Amino acid sequence: MPDTPPALDIQALRFRYPAPRDPDAGADDWILNIPSLRLDRAEQVLLTGGSGRGKSTLLQIIAGLMDPAADGAPGSGGTVLVAGQNIHALAGAGRDLFRGRHIGMIFQTFNLLHGFTAAENVMAALMFSGVPPKEHRPRALALLEHLGITRPDATPDRLSVGQQQRVAVARALACDPVLVLADEPTASLDPDNAAAAMDLIQSACREKGAALLCVSHDPSMAQRFQRRESLADLSSDKPPPAPRPAAATT
Amino acid sequence: MTDFTIILRSLTSRLFSTVTTVVTVAVAVGLMLVLLSMRDSGRQAFERGSGNMHLLVSRDASPTVAVLNALFYANPPRNYFLWSEYERLAASHPFDWAIPTQQGDSYGGLPVLASTPQFFTDFQPNDGEPWALSDGRFFDKPFEVVLGAEAAALTGLRVGDKVHLTHGIPQSRQLGDPNAPEPHVHRDFTYTVVGVLRPTGSAHDRALFTDLTSAWIIHAHDRRKQADPSVATTTEADLLPDDKKITGVYLRVATRPGQNASASLLPVFDALRRDPSITVAQPVQQIGALFRIVSSVDRIFIAIAAVVMVSSGVGIMLALYNSMEQRRRQIAVLRVLGCSRGRIFNLVLTESALIGLLGAALGVVFCLVGVRLVASVVKEMLGLVIRPALPPDLALYVVVGSIALAALAGVIPAVMAYRTSVANNLRPIG
Repeated sequence: MPDTPPALDIQALRFRYPAPRDPDAGADDWILNIPSLRLDRAEQVLLTGGSGRGKSTLLQIIAGLMDPAADGAPGSGGTVLVAGQNIHALAGAGRDLFRGRHIGMIFQTFNLLHGFTAAENVMAALMFSGVPPKEHRPRALALLEHLGITRPDATPDRLSVGQQQRVAVARALACDPVLVLADEPTASLDPDNAAAAMDLIQSACREKGAALLCVSHDPSMAQRFQRRESLADLSSDKPPPAPRPAAATT
Repeated sequence: MTDFTIILRSLTSRLFSTVTTVVTVAVAVGLMLVLLSMRDSGRQAFERGSGNMHLLVSRDASPTVAVLNALFYANPPRNYFLWSEYERLAASHPFDWAIPTQQGDSYGGLPVLASTPQFFTDFQPNDGEPWALSDGRFFDKPFEVVLGAEAAALTGLRVGDKVHLTHGIPQSRQLGDPNAPEPHVHRDFTYTVVGVLRPTGSAHDRALFTDLTSAWIIHAHDRRKQADPSVATTTEADLLPDDKKITGVYLRVATRPGQNASASLLPVFDALRRDPSITVAQPVQQIGALFRIVSSVDRIFIAIAAVVMVSSGVGIMLALYNSMEQRRRQIAVLRVLGCSRGRIFNLVLTESALIGLLGAALGVVFCLVGVRLVASVVKEMLGLVIRPALPPDLALYVVVGSIALAALAGVIPAVMAYRTSVANNLRPIG
């Protein structure tokens, strides 16, 4: 079997914000201190613990929206490989395009484009892919239908919360990313919608073969993931714990 | 879904702002284009009417006044030539033609010009465009009158109608002075309208044309009636040499074939000017001099129009700047989806340039409508016929310039968009 690089491979990541933005932090206060974190293809991991800012910062660094060496206080740095590509070695538009094609992001507040239909939101993601333009709409419609959206030409203000979440998931998966980053995807949802949303995210990622790194402080999430990490555990030099046996799976 | 869809959606989602900025640009561009159209047409308008005439001879106070009176019918000249003086003048140099003219009478406030049939056969009011009739024929005997196109429209006269001419131009009545004396109408002589001219785009359109002999007869009749009130009528046979007066002479200098007209013209011009009893004018030079006075004012207007364009650019910048706050989240989302900072910058800049393009296009429409409006107002109020024409190359510069200005206006908002922080704008609100 060919040696496919892992979906995500982080090595020696240390990060804290430059001094003026972090007046309370002492010299030793790293927001992120991860010697190693690795996700195999299609692996799903729940990340808990630490401050909310730390987890969001991690996701932004992984997505290439922040560069640990360039944007952090002196001493910050590390390597982030997505599908074998050092994302911070790419510059400018190249990095943005790489993110568009290989990383999907799901947010707590969906962050759909207002004034654009559900289909257009998904097509927006496809704008930055290598998919030929005339295939954009058929693919978007197919994906939305598959995820249970019956009115692809409705704008977000006309969709229910659950439907908006589906559109957000469709958008994140439109380019067949190798890695999906979910930042507190259920924090704004009531328990029923939250459960449906997580079912959707996990099954969609599984189908597409995308790895999933889900950040959440919601305790009910724990049973959904075979592998759970906490920032605190990652930061220490302890060896990573053995994967806990799965509870009753859905 | 393309970059263009995003831009278009952005413009339509803030429709009020978009329409306002587009109209602001359109007004600025329209104003500039109207001024540029007028500038050229203003000069051309002044030049219309002098046609193939080389020199104008009269007894006005100065060459400028001579041109104003003869070609723009400003006032009937007060001083006159006798016929014998005219004949001497016509014989003095080799002329292609020397057409005698007399102004002084009027009809309905419009000037009457008396001349010979040569006025229509040899003189062309616009070079290369001889007189043309829209109805009837030119006069060929006394007591016939031909109407200019505008005169016919204003008076409602048609071929076959009968009129009486008025002595002088009753200006005091025109100016609304009710106590001015009644103008003297030559009631004893009836003229017949025999022709209506096509428009020439010059002041000649507002005039009526008649034969010189009839003009002499009606004034000789006044003289004879004053001496002897019982005189019934006057004929050509009753004319004395002193009755045969003219107020102006149109001259065309003979040019040898292949030779430049000005080569023959200048020596004759200089020779004639040495005579202190006459005023000699080269119409085109005089009009040029007159126009130069106006053209410096023209430049001020164009400078004002340029300032208006710049301020419309500021309007675009403000509108986009104000919209940036609302769009930060949208920009952050696009960046997450793979849009680079540079592409975001281009989106905003293109949006700005598009406003400029739409505004410029609408501005051209405003100009085309506006010049018609201005032309009709100028005609109503000044009697000047202008045919504003938008010079295509200037129009192109203005359109391209306004698009560039709009794009420039978009730079600051585009930089703001470029620098939008993704992290800060993806956070949940509140």
